[in-house]
Amino acid sequence: MLGVDVGGTFTDVVSVRDGKIAVTKVPSDSRDPAAPVVLGARRLGVEGHPVFNHASTMGLNAVITRTLPKVGFLTTEGHRDMLDRGRVWRPPAAQTDTSWRRSFGDVSRPLVPRYLRRGVLERLLADGSVYLPLDEDQARAQLEVLKRCNVEGVAICLLNAYVNDAHERRLRELVAEVLGAQLPVSISSETSPLAKEYARASTTVIDVFMKLIFTRYAHELDGELRSSGFAGKLNFADCAATLLPWAEALEKPFRIVFAGPAAGTMSSAALGAAMGAANLICCDVGGTSTDISLVVDGQPFFNNTFELEHDLIINALSTEISSVGAGGGSIVSISPSGDVRVGPDSAGSDPGPACYGRGGSQPTITDACLLMGILDPDDFAAGEVRLDIDAAARAFAGLDTNLNLDERIAFAYRIAATNIAEEVANVAIRHGTDPRDFSLIAYGAAGPMLLPAALELMHVQRVIVPPHPGLFSALGLLSSDLVYYDSRSSYVMLSPEQAPAIATVFEEMERRLRERAGVDATSGTVRRSFDGRLYGQSWETPFVEVPPGPIVAETLIERFHDAYERRYGNRFEYVPVQGVSYRVELVIASEKVEFTAQEATGEPMPPPRRSVQIRHLEGERLDAAEYTRESLPIGASFEGPAVIREGLSTTLVCPRQRASVGSFGEIVIERA
Amino acid sequence: MAHSFLRPAERHLHVQRTPLAGTCPECGAQELAAYRVLSDGGFFDVHKCQRCLYSLEREPAAPFGSYVPLGLEIARSLE
Amino acid sequence: MSRDAPQQLIRELSHEQFAQRYGCDRFTATVLASRFGYVVEHMCSRVLTAAFSPILRDFYDFAATLTGPPERGYPTPAMSASILLFTGTMTDSVRNTVEEYGLDRLAPGDVIIANDPYRNGTHVNDVLFTRPVFHEGRLACFVNMKAHQLDMGGMVPGGFSLAKRNVYENGLVLAPRALFRAGKPVRETWNVIFDNVRFGAILAPDMLTCVAELELGERMLLESIERYGLDAVLGSMVYVCDASAERMAVALAEIPDGDWVGEDLADCDAVADDEEYLVRVRVSKRGSRAEVDFSGTSRQARSAINATALDAKTSVGVAFKSIFDPHGWFTSGTTRPIDIIMPEGTVVSALPPDGAVFAYWEQSQVILSALLRALAQAVGPAALAGDRGSANIHNANGLLADGRPWISAAQVGGEVGPFGANRHGDADSQMLSYQANGIGVAVEAVESDAPVVVLRHEIVPDSAGAGHFRGGAAMLRDSLWLRAAQHHLMSLHFKLAPGFGVNGGGDGRTGGIWLWDEGEREPALSQAGPDSYASATAVGGVLDPRTLEPSADGVYQYPHRVPFWETRPDAVLRYVNCAGGGWGAALGRDPELVKRDVRDGYVTIAGAARDYGVVLSGDPEWDPEGLELDLEATTRLRASMRSEP
Repeated sequence: MLGVDVGGTFTDVVSVRDGKIAVTKVPSDSRDPAAPVVLGARRLGVEGHPVFNHASTMGLNAVITRTLPKVGFLTTEGHRDMLDRGRVWRPPAAQTDTSWRRSFGDVSRPLVPRYLRRGVLERLLADGSVYLPLDEDQARAQLEVLKRCNVEGVAICLLNAYVNDAHERRLRELVAEVLGAQLPVSISSETSPLAKEYARASTTVIDVFMKLIFTRYAHELDGELRSSGFAGKLNFADCAATLLPWAEALEKPFRIVFAGPAAGTMSSAALGAAMGAANLICCDVGGTSTDISLVVDGQPFFNNTFELEHDLIINALSTEISSVGAGGGSIVSISPSGDVRVGPDSAGSDPGPACYGRGGSQPTITDACLLMGILDPDDFAAGEVRLDIDAAARAFAGLDTNLNLDERIAFAYRIAATNIAEEVANVAIRHGTDPRDFSLIAYGAAGPMLLPAALELMHVQRVIVPPHPGLFSALGLLSSDLVYYDSRSSYVMLSPEQAPAIATVFEEMERRLRERAGVDATSGTVRRSFDGRLYGQSWETPFVEVPPGPIVAETLIERFHDAYERRYGNRFEYVPVQGVSYRVELVIASEKVEFTAQEATGEPMPPPRRSVQIRHLEGERLDAAEYTRESLPIGASFEGPAVIREGLSTTLVCPRQRASVGSFGEIVIERA
Repeated sequence: MAHSFLRPAERHLHVQRTPLAGTCPECGAQELAAYRVLSDGGFFDVHKCQRCLYSLEREPAAPFGSYVPLGLEIARSLE
Repeated sequence: MSRDAPQQLIRELSHEQFAQRYGCDRFTATVLASRFGYVVEHMCSRVLTAAFSPILRDFYDFAATLTGPPERGYPTPAMSASILLFTGTMTDSVRNTVEEYGLDRLAPGDVIIANDPYRNGTHVNDVLFTRPVFHEGRLACFVNMKAHQLDMGGMVPGGFSLAKRNVYENGLVLAPRALFRAGKPVRETWNVIFDNVRFGAILAPDMLTCVAELELGERMLLESIERYGLDAVLGSMVYVCDASAERMAVALAEIPDGDWVGEDLADCDAVADDEEYLVRVRVSKRGSRAEVDFSGTSRQARSAINATALDAKTSVGVAFKSIFDPHGWFTSGTTRPIDIIMPEGTVVSALPPDGAVFAYWEQSQVILSALLRALAQAVGPAALAGDRGSANIHNANGLLADGRPWISAAQVGGEVGPFGANRHGDADSQMLSYQANGIGVAVEAVESDAPVVVLRHEIVPDSAGAGHFRGGAAMLRDSLWLRAAQHHLMSLHFKLAPGFGVNGGGDGRTGGIWLWDEGEREPALSQAGPDSYASATAVGGVLDPRTLEPSADGVYQYPHRVPFWETRPDAVLRYVNCAGGGWGAALGRDPELVKRDVRDGYVTIAGAARDYGVVLSGDPEWDPEGLELDLEATTRLRASMRSEP
């Protein structure tokens, strides 16, 4: 099995053959993104692998940087400003921040500028009836404008088209007529037939962008891999890190706009399952932020939408992940009142932390870790970067504060740990869970050097550093299933009279999914769910499970109240329930990486490689034992302070903590 | 102090600042005045310099200005 | 910090001085400062998810705070980032509530509630829940939640009416009283509420959610006290408030001293169109101190459009914070360098029983506008232009064919509208007002719930205040009502353009409300162009008597001349909100940006010449990329416009 995670800076490739994990890292190339993928895959060898699972942040990066093709947007006359409106709200934290603008608004950086958003004379009502027929001549005239502007694709989203797709389908034919049959078109009734026009329109716009971005790339990649000797299946991961055959992904590519962090959650769940740890807090500490997600009873939490920027949402199933601006590259600064602050600004990969010596002059958490002695200047990122201690010290010395150097560094490191710990508590509280029942999985290159220090603040049982923490997310791509899914909306008060209509919706979706999956469908299992609301509320409670068999309204109502209570803690049985969206997932089990337990060999604990000094953590300095990770046998156990080095990461074991190596090669850190 | 108020007869209302004799210890101006303000901590009766806004005195005032809820007044009279 | 000029900045304190003042070291204070923020955000998370009420969930109409003990002066170091409209009232309402209830009566496990606007600000639907936190038998601090309840009794379901004339019509008033005493429910309190409010079965779980949040907040604070000690926790509360007061004071000290007057206006009350309600502020600034004197403000109105002094304090805080300290949370220290001088019995300091307070948020708009107008003279380029000046809330109700009632609440009026511009750039057109925030309801969700068709919801060309950066454009929304309906209008701000320009920018055009109600008729889409208004009934706005378009020289149409507007099936209602003001001279705007606005339909070719002195040719509608900018003609036109008086 091969897994590849294409990030903005690096492309990580993981290969698992006969239970053996091999990894490699190749710099990403935004101009030719397929090349590093193929290079990395060849390095590890492609022959004989049954699957090649691919995740990338390419789609999201293209959206965030607005390196997007020119597309047109057609909607009902009078409503083209829905894309400037979003759901209106601004981030609560920005309420008095007068510099805030809607990132995708017309005065900022719209995905489709207003003149390419064209109104079409037609109107459907909420029940799908035609209030105003489609004016084809007027529509052709609008398309002529888009043609004159040389758009490369068209997204179509008409009001209430989620209940009646006739006008959208006809418009697609008119697009082919006026702009040519080859032009990529996405229509909302097909892409994402869900109620609430903004999210559906936004999904449809992203979908047509992704068609333009991924279609050529996927064909190239598949061709290159095959000519290199790969004979298995190429799959793309989506926002929930579930997999799709690449050709299927290109049908509704909005699903693959972003994959990466979700794979880390998947990987954690797989490791947790092997270890018998069902409740996990997954903590991926990257360069600019820490991504936190939960696994409860072995299951990640999913959302029915994904947010690319504030309020730029699409109707993609996604793993729920919270971010806090504390990562290795987070910048340390001083507030006007003299507080040490960490983030949210980041030095990114360019210029990077001051110690990279690439012109960064502001201190970062990586600089703090270097000055503390956690990082080794001569042994960082597998020796690819040499770290400059003087530059790091100069950056801290440059802060405008009367704190001394020791305090500056110590506070910065502890504030970063505190910020992460607070966000971990936040995530746990939002889900009504108690962190004391959880293990924290620490990954991402910077995770193992920061998170053990946060153990005391978090009330979690223990911190687990998995094998290959820097590439742990990519490994998650080999821990995932193929999932075909579809969903559609219909506002229906749940009642026995309405049950047959709902049943028809589910049957129709399932039939189509089975057609799409073809031969795979026979081995698949079907999951059904719906999103409903208490009548009078404006939001839905998602993922209410629909049991197999005939649709019984009373059962759906009961399940709704159960789900509502589980999620929100209240039960409003006297309020009628309205069904809004219905979802079918066809899950096809895929070959996965297996974490297999190794017996402790009884090998003696090796002596430390040497003793290193850890400064600014506690007191003047601490003498810490330094180990290399590969030297530690299963069953090894020792107390901090200690540092454990491996190719791309360093683990810090604090004083009064005990580290032991588990049977899957994981390092478990507990309070001694 | 009252619990029920008529609608004021004047269309526009003004706060009268009472001039006080004395000198501002901060700027030396002889422009002191007494009036009521609302700030961090609630209402205060203040003596302030009108030139530099320095506060010579800040005494906490009744919490709702002139309004005293009738129930509170009755209960207090019975306590 | 003393409230007067900061002698020594907090950052300059030695370790010893810091520890002596705040009971802990700097690092602990930093950690606790962020902890306080987290605690209040945690307290909000379940209100946001578990509440039934769309007002809580979609409009964040609640706030969570922590408040220190009386002997420290009730410092409030953290207010949740929920609704700005509560920020100025929270500290005072907690103090007023627990002091009236009696500090010596408080015990662990108590929850005290109160909702009187004259004691606590905002309106009766906003119930304050406060819980004393005890440590080792001693009152340590308070955790608090104020949240809008769906109903508080009174003459109108939900309370949303400008027509209520006094305390008695307004709703149930709860003086401070225990909802729980030592963890046990107080029956008479539950009874007095639920014997008087509607939708009790929904209200009760929402109230219990608020109580549960207090318990969470209490638990988290006690954990912090265990970990860091009571002195450190209380000292850090004071520290956070001192730091925000200091930031405000330092920023004030940076601008020149002066006195500046600003005025703004609510058009009328809901009794008669014979009195306008002026808010006049005089801002005086000396060094790091400021005063805001409301002398000259109108007396209170005869119906429920009034606000109270604590609401005025909110808007003073919002205005000063937006300009001088825009990042981070509100604390009780935010307003410390500012004294507010307020006559009693004004429209923004109303008194019982006849100064009914409900639509306080409309006065909050007026106060903020008056303040921003005054401060614009003080801060030059840092000035903020006006937004649309009203929440423009519309409610409607009626019966479906089968006799079931339907209701549309704050969904299809002028709720979405523009901001004003500022030095950071052009303004967004589709926001709630400056002091509100919330989720806009989707057209498709609205249409599935009520017999209404939203015909159009789009920007009005040439409406935005022109400027180097332009204001947000007015939004026009036409709604077709398939069934007979009653419409309740809550707009009070058309007479004086609320979207004032600053720093040389132009005012945004004013808006209005119109109605087409010819009874049963052929379904047809309305037209939105300038000629479309003349056939309508003018409902609200300052309108040209012939064309019925908004016009500065027009005639005011009083929207409250009927208690509510009744329409037959197929009536069309139009809202156009007032547009946002511009920032900086329009003649200095980059001609390429004007061209972009013409291409995108925000400005017409004629408007580009008239308002910006930019000469363009072409057909923006049918050949948007073919627009030609004539730079030479633009230079000439701008020169001649500059030389005109």
